[in-house]
Amino acid sequence: MSSSILLRSAFKSAASKNALRSALQVRHATSSTAQYVPGGPIYKGTVNDPTTFPPSSKVHGSYHWAFERLLSASLIPLTGAAFVTSGTAYPILDGILGVSLVMHSHIGFDSMIVDYLHARKFPILGPIATWTLRTATVATLVGIYEFNTNDIGLTELITKVWTA
Amino acid sequence: MMSARAVGLGPALRKAAFSQNIVRNQVALRTILAKRTIQTQSVSPAAGEEILNSQRLKRPSSPHFTIYQPQITWIGSIVNRVTGGALSALLYGFSIAYLIAPGTFDSTHVVEFVAGLPDYVKYSGKTILALPFAFHSWNGLRHLSWDMGKFLSLKGAYGSAYAVMGATVVTTAALVMM
Repeated sequence: MSSSILLRSAFKSAASKNALRSALQVRHATSSTAQYVPGGPIYKGTVNDPTTFPPSSKVHGSYHWAFERLLSASLIPLTGAAFVTSGTAYPILDGILGVSLVMHSHIGFDSMIVDYLHARKFPILGPIATWTLRTATVATLVGIYEFNTNDIGLTELITKVWTA
Repeated sequence: MMSARAVGLGPALRKAAFSQNIVRNQVALRTILAKRTIQTQSVSPAAGEEILNSQRLKRPSSPHFTIYQPQITWIGSIVNRVTGGALSALLYGFSIAYLIAPGTFDSTHVVEFVAGLPDYVKYSGKTILALPFAFHSWNGLRHLSWDMGKFLSLKGAYGSAYAVMGATVVTTAALVMM
């Protein structure tokens, strides 16, 4: 425990030294003709400077990954159940599908934003896309809840449209 | 030349032409010339970095899609994303449309609208919906099996890709006929 604290403080002081050095170098670099593009091919500092660590977060990493797999895997029996039963007879199935499908979609859309519109490369468009997605996901959840409670529900709608 | 070969001088002449001395002389000649035409200049590290950075800005983006060979491995990956995105966009689109205008997008109106469409539109519409659903479902199973450590070899990746394609065709046909 104490050794890890020691290590961390050593790392912190090393990191602050690096930050100071790269800050000086960035100031120097702004005088050059080549402009730094966020996420572009020009390094911050020099090739000898280490990259900065992303801040650690408990909702990212292995828990997040395991949750995604669990969600994907649980869609298999849910889809099967939706094929063999009627949503009107089992409204709880529509409710679970309405939440799990939207969460699965949200994660998928979010990975696309992370891959193609990352804030590191798109400092304005990236956060706009992330917050647009969050808004759309909330609206979708509300919309699908309304449809499941006031109308015939998701599975019943698909069945009726398919055989219309 | 003919006469040289006739008197047996050919090999000797060839040997003289490619002898070490001549080669050495040529190298010496080249370095003298190089010293005359090419000039180097020493620049400060900052100026050197600026030259390097202006070169870095001219680099092409990677991967170079116009020359990258289409392979089942990466095409299957991007098709998985496109099909999932399309299905999700439909789910989001319908749910938000129902939230905004529940009177227009209620089930009665939607079913009535679809029922009034001609048969060829119905069947093509069903195909357009069933194909991405079938592919994404089967390929999702492929991904989950990869996550469990199965089919991770190149042979496994190709074999499972063909299996997914076959299952997609059969499932799409079955769903359209439903």
